[in-house]
Amino acid sequence: MSAPSIDPNSAVYTTDEYGRPFIILREQGRKTRMNGIEAIKSHILAAKTVANIVKSSLGPRGLDKILISPDGEITVTNDGATILGQMEVEHQIAKLLVQLSKSQDDEIGDGTTGVVVLAGALLEQSEALLDRGIHPIRIADGFERACVEAVKHLDTISDRIEYSKGNTDNLLKTAMTSLGSKIVSKEHQQFAQIAVDAVLTVADLERKDIPFDLIKVDGKVGGSLADTKLIRGVLIDKDMSHPQMPRDVRDAKLAILTCPFEPPRPKTKHHLDITSVEEFKKLQSYEKEKFQDMIQKVKDTGANLVICQWGFDDEANHLLMQNELPAVRWVGGPEIELIAMATQGRIVPRFEDLTKEKLGSAGIVREVSFGTTRDKMLVIEGCPNTRVVTIFVRGSNKMIVDEAKRALHDAICAVRNLIVDNRIVYGGGSSDISCAVAVSRAADEIPSIEQYAMRAFASALESIPLALAENSGLSPIETLTEVRARQLEESNPHLGIDCNGRGHNDMKQQFVYDPLISKRQQYLLATQLVRAVLKIDDVIKSGEADE
Amino acid sequence: MQRGLPMQPTVVLLREGTDTSQGNPQLLSNISACLAVAQTLSTTLGPRGMDKLIVNERGEAQITNDGATILKLLDIVHPAARTLVDIARAQDAEIGDGTTSVVLLAAQLLKEVRGYIEEGVSPHIIMKGFRQATKLAIDRIKELQVTVDKSDPDNFRSLLLKCASTSMSSKLIHSEKPFFSNMVVEAIESLDPDDLDESLIGVKKVPGGGLQDSLLVKGVAFKKTFTYAGAEQQPKYFKDPLILCLNVELELKAEKDNAEVRVEAVSDYQAIVDAEWEIIYRKLQAIEKTGAKVVLSKLPIGDLATQWFADRFIFCAGRVPAGDLRRVVQATGGSVQSTCSDITREHLGTCGVFEERQIGGERYNIFEGCPKAKTCTLILRGGAEQFIEEVDRSLHDALMVVKRAIKNGEVVAGGGAIEMELSAHIRKHALTIPGKQQLVIAAFAKALEIIPRQICDNAGLDSTDVLNKLRMKHATDGKWFGVDVDGPTGIRDNMEAFVWEPSLVKINAISSASEAACLILSVDETIRNPQSEGPNPGPKAPAGTTQRALRGRGRGMGRR
Repeated sequence: MSAPSIDPNSAVYTTDEYGRPFIILREQGRKTRMNGIEAIKSHILAAKTVANIVKSSLGPRGLDKILISPDGEITVTNDGATILGQMEVEHQIAKLLVQLSKSQDDEIGDGTTGVVVLAGALLEQSEALLDRGIHPIRIADGFERACVEAVKHLDTISDRIEYSKGNTDNLLKTAMTSLGSKIVSKEHQQFAQIAVDAVLTVADLERKDIPFDLIKVDGKVGGSLADTKLIRGVLIDKDMSHPQMPRDVRDAKLAILTCPFEPPRPKTKHHLDITSVEEFKKLQSYEKEKFQDMIQKVKDTGANLVICQWGFDDEANHLLMQNELPAVRWVGGPEIELIAMATQGRIVPRFEDLTKEKLGSAGIVREVSFGTTRDKMLVIEGCPNTRVVTIFVRGSNKMIVDEAKRALHDAICAVRNLIVDNRIVYGGGSSDISCAVAVSRAADEIPSIEQYAMRAFASALESIPLALAENSGLSPIETLTEVRARQLEESNPHLGIDCNGRGHNDMKQQFVYDPLISKRQQYLLATQLVRAVLKIDDVIKSGEADE
Repeated sequence: MQRGLPMQPTVVLLREGTDTSQGNPQLLSNISACLAVAQTLSTTLGPRGMDKLIVNERGEAQITNDGATILKLLDIVHPAARTLVDIARAQDAEIGDGTTSVVLLAAQLLKEVRGYIEEGVSPHIIMKGFRQATKLAIDRIKELQVTVDKSDPDNFRSLLLKCASTSMSSKLIHSEKPFFSNMVVEAIESLDPDDLDESLIGVKKVPGGGLQDSLLVKGVAFKKTFTYAGAEQQPKYFKDPLILCLNVELELKAEKDNAEVRVEAVSDYQAIVDAEWEIIYRKLQAIEKTGAKVVLSKLPIGDLATQWFADRFIFCAGRVPAGDLRRVVQATGGSVQSTCSDITREHLGTCGVFEERQIGGERYNIFEGCPKAKTCTLILRGGAEQFIEEVDRSLHDALMVVKRAIKNGEVVAGGGAIEMELSAHIRKHALTIPGKQQLVIAAFAKALEIIPRQICDNAGLDSTDVLNKLRMKHATDGKWFGVDVDGPTGIRDNMEAFVWEPSLVKINAISSASEAACLILSVDETIRNPQSEGPNPGPKAPAGTTQRALRGRGRGMGRR
């Protein structure tokens, strides 16, 4: 049994003068270690695998993935960040890629697949360079120089687009590019319109600030995607507390309460000993009095609708009904806040504080019901603060609704990015090809070894158009070489892969727009990640506890 | 318990199972253990140093290049090797940078004298030699170091920038050196120059964005705390607000656990309810009366209070982490109040601008233009959490280096230059000494060469070749020649190339490395009590080897 003692994978292995092995690290036997080129190679392999998984969902003809969670919940999506987030990858380097796409998602909200594909391609290229014996950090340095070139080039080929509240054409086109690959592409136009309208409604064009909190996306199964609409107001998944209450309230004055319709109870621990019948009756009448008192207080302020964060029992409900005071109960905290903001009312914590000034107002509050189901929802529209919107997504099943929500999120982000920075590059891989050409040109002028890495960077950039072409059923290499040749020949950086089969390659004419910051961020993030991966030469891993 | 002498009777002296090893073999085995640890670290040194990915039992990964962090994560149990961990930590705590070099140096010192130990030189002679050599080295550094003129602020600032960027050169942020070194220097400059308390530099990590999106806030910033409904209606921007920091819970149920009420009659009921409201309202009113526009509390601020403040255009945040609150207090003046009554103007702080701002996917509360203590917050961005962690560690090193440089202002050239110079100096000196000391001191000189050698090895240069060139330069007049990983010749004048390090880093590294080496050399016996392995059966190393490795464990006795 001497074989396992000389386990090359064991963490730190040495023997002393007698040939006895050392125990230097705790649980040394369970730790595994990998170092040098071998470690880097295994990381590259892991990253490539992850990139290959999402590769096929890139572009307008990209396919979806079905993901089943441990509790059997199904997600259908082609959003890179969602796929990776739900895959629960184990491998450390693969986890880095997942975080990479998540950070693209957090920052930009779009282009999450592209960034992973690019990082995978860069690592794949560096493998060949490692085989040639180039030091990993030299490779990373080269990539970084190339990245700087690419980003510089992106700036030169970018175009500024104009937009205003009235002229939303260009924003629409960007939203459509982002939606192009998603499940909603059938209702392309409509969804793009919704996304643009939503963003423009809440946007503060002067400060270029888009508070996402004010856009609420809600979904309900049923109907078709085409029934999705934008509500300029608030939608809550609640109904009137009593079926006989009016279905709609015009010129509503809303009392927004965070206290229950109940006799107030001290929060301190308390005891009430009822010793006699009179006492009991007194209590009863006290309670009743309280109810009436409360309702009177609400009525006095002129409110004609009560939104309550808590519940109220049947007695209160009945009294409200009798006093013709429609009410909604169990409205959640964030929704209360949204309603308060939209109607410009104040949230009132107790009846005593209720005054006229604290009421919110709305043009119309109505209950809507759907199809044959008895589900009802409450729509609050015509609010004084017009900057609150709700997007109400419909779809034939939950998966579609969820995916449509994600698609909308991407589109909203894309539009937001344009408002923040109105420079665009053209999609369809055209900017990637153009950058690739620029980088390889720059590479020739560099005297040191980084030249190789820069060329590799250029070929990695081409992986995006390649994947696009492949997913669209075109012959990838043939298409790419043709487009590249034409870009150089016509010196037109707007030529890309014709994924939609429109018959020409000019992305400017096809209106395939990508925000510049999204592309830029993709390049920067991918390069940084690759640097981190290439820099690791040693992996020390503690074994599983149950090994 | 001498193995290999089966006929001798065994005298039982210590408890059964006690692990004893002694004499020279023990010393040698300790040295081997230290070398093994140093080996693991060696590849992280220098601008082409690599990182380590360390995964713990829970599957959490850390990617790092920082020597002290790696050693901490390795979880070393070998007693002699632990010494190395300790010196790395001490270096980290004292200087903050150069943790890898100190470990490498200590291990190399041991390696060089290993041969002498094997030949039977007494460890004490070696230790004496080391001490002498260390003194020589430190004197030489003091003699050589370049003092920078602090009176010229521009010049001094550029010195700080250079020190910061040298410290960063081996880290992940290497490519963003100019950006980050500027940030680090600005951060330090915003502190009080007399005190330089780096705990006033807050570091916040926001995943997402690129490294270049990191920013420095001249003031305090912290992540928006959990808020109740109504917070969105509060104003999010103030100019010159008064700031009140509390340690008070502003919630209706505050008195819940402290009292029990017996209600005698129904009519009293309302009175008690009202009394309760009264308590909190009185607190809120007291706060409003102070004129504070921003109210922060360490304890929760409930929905009632949130809405009440929203009504009166006051911003509030509950559950502010203690560290952040402390920095707010230090930055804005004022003090943390534990009650709402008797708050006067002097208890309130103020700042130039308060606002809530979106950073990446999160909202941050930012206080800028604080009058009192100088403070700042680094907001770090990056593609993944491990990234940001590593950036944090690298910046910490750089901050410490800059701090040291400000305090002392003396620098030497990095990139192995000072080590080569010391080595040459000590070797020259060794030749003048008669006796065994000569060998030991020469060994010390040779050990110093490990730093440039390792930098070369990591960069893929031919270390023997480069070292020969360097020795030649240092033998003549090029006292600042060190390794150049980019250039064609492999060497350059690092003083002119602005690879600068505070001399204190080097002094401390050399003295603690030699102390650690002396410590390890002076140990000739390890006695490990069996109890420590009793409850925890220790490592499950492969069968057969462990038994011998852990010598004993119930069987040590009968082996005759």
